[in-house]
Amino acid sequence: MNLPDWISPVARYMLEEGLRNTLQISAIALIGSTIIGITLGTLLTIRFLPLSAAIRFYIEVWRGLPILVTIFIIFFLLPALSPTLRFSALTAAAIGLILWGSAQVAEATRGAVISIPREQHEAASALGFGWVGRHAFVILPQALRRLLPPMVGLLVNIIQNTTIAQVIGAAELLETGERQVERLTFEGQNHALEIYAAVMVVFFLISFPLTRLAAYLERRLV
Amino acid sequence: MTVQLALLASSFLGELWTYLQDYGSELAAGLRRTIQISAIAIVGAFFIGLVLGAARAHRIPVVSQLAAVYVEIIRNTPILVQIFFLYFGLATLGAREVLGTGVTVDFRLDAFTVAWLSVMIWGGAFNTENFRAGFEAVPTRYREAGFALGFGRLATFLNVTLPIGGRIALPSSINTYISVLKNTSLLYAIAYPELTTTALQINALTLQTVETFTVLAIAYLAIVWTMSAGIRLLERQLALPEERR
Repeated sequence: MNLPDWISPVARYMLEEGLRNTLQISAIALIGSTIIGITLGTLLTIRFLPLSAAIRFYIEVWRGLPILVTIFIIFFLLPALSPTLRFSALTAAAIGLILWGSAQVAEATRGAVISIPREQHEAASALGFGWVGRHAFVILPQALRRLLPPMVGLLVNIIQNTTIAQVIGAAELLETGERQVERLTFEGQNHALEIYAAVMVVFFLISFPLTRLAAYLERRLV
Repeated sequence: MTVQLALLASSFLGELWTYLQDYGSELAAGLRRTIQISAIAIVGAFFIGLVLGAARAHRIPVVSQLAAVYVEIIRNTPILVQIFFLYFGLATLGAREVLGTGVTVDFRLDAFTVAWLSVMIWGGAFNTENFRAGFEAVPTRYREAGFALGFGRLATFLNVTLPIGGRIALPSSINTYISVLKNTSLLYAIAYPELTTTALQINALTLQTVETFTVLAIAYLAIVWTMSAGIRLLERQLALPEERR
């Protein structure tokens, strides 16, 4: 099979530069969202109004804003407030995704922690665990089981939402595709249809197995 | 310290007021377009979800499989790439005849068409899943009771499955509508002048970044929080009699 000449350099650039950055932002955003989200979600189960009101506000703001607006706020507003808060496009996108993702994880964690029966808390207390030990060693490990399907779903959403970084020029998969479209148009050939279709195919190949996995876990674990 | 903070806050409020007087009407026009696009897309997504969700739940041959393919493609690819595909990708086809049918279609869609079409297609796919889950949650014995009373398949759907399954699907479908509204911000990528695009254009012109993003964030949060509050109200209003507490 003979491929047209323009394909190979485009594909190499998009996979080596674009896909690499997409996966890198996704990994950072997933890890950051998980750590911050599980912490906030667990703290949200404490009945102390100022604390739960503050966490609630954090969740509702970052879940309520379109991710694009959040990323704009980090990329354009923060440097205007203080020059030290200037981030690269990739970092700004990762921070934006962490704010949004951690709000999602916090909400899911709260539900998972509440679903653990009170007896588990009492048994852990009877064994001499303090609040931190009780949650870290007894409650959260059980809650994680319930948290796993939504976490896989979150990973799919994070991977797809990394494309929003394109808008501020971060070289993720969509942006690298767009650059190649522009380069080829400049050289007199238009391949926007093929390139954007290819971007969709790559995302589909990554997301589809993960959504199947999330559905499977949902059936198995809940 | 307190006095300084109070002065700082009041001077910011003053600046915000002047900013709104200068650019309020432009921002309002952007907000109107955001709401208009969302409204078209939400109505469209409602009917797509209703029809395809019913076809999926009742396993109507061919339609059900095609709906499944549509849902999986849309749910597993980023909406921003879908917008790029519709706006920049399809445009390369130009105006051409569709597969020998003799019908000429111009694939160079304008920004407005791509705006409502892209978010509608996206919302329709998610809504198909919402309604499918809702209709499938209706116990089979309810439908059997409908058949026993002499209702046909369509009448049973309209009188039994739809009122009960529709209520079950309502909260998740409103969540989808909220996402549709938030996704209209991505139309910034094709420079459609909705709220986000308008705000960013004003920002590029004036560099009043703090005022711009304060107004932008408050506008989105006001709409989204109102809609979420609406979900909770509706959920209580439309709860099935045996669930009402």
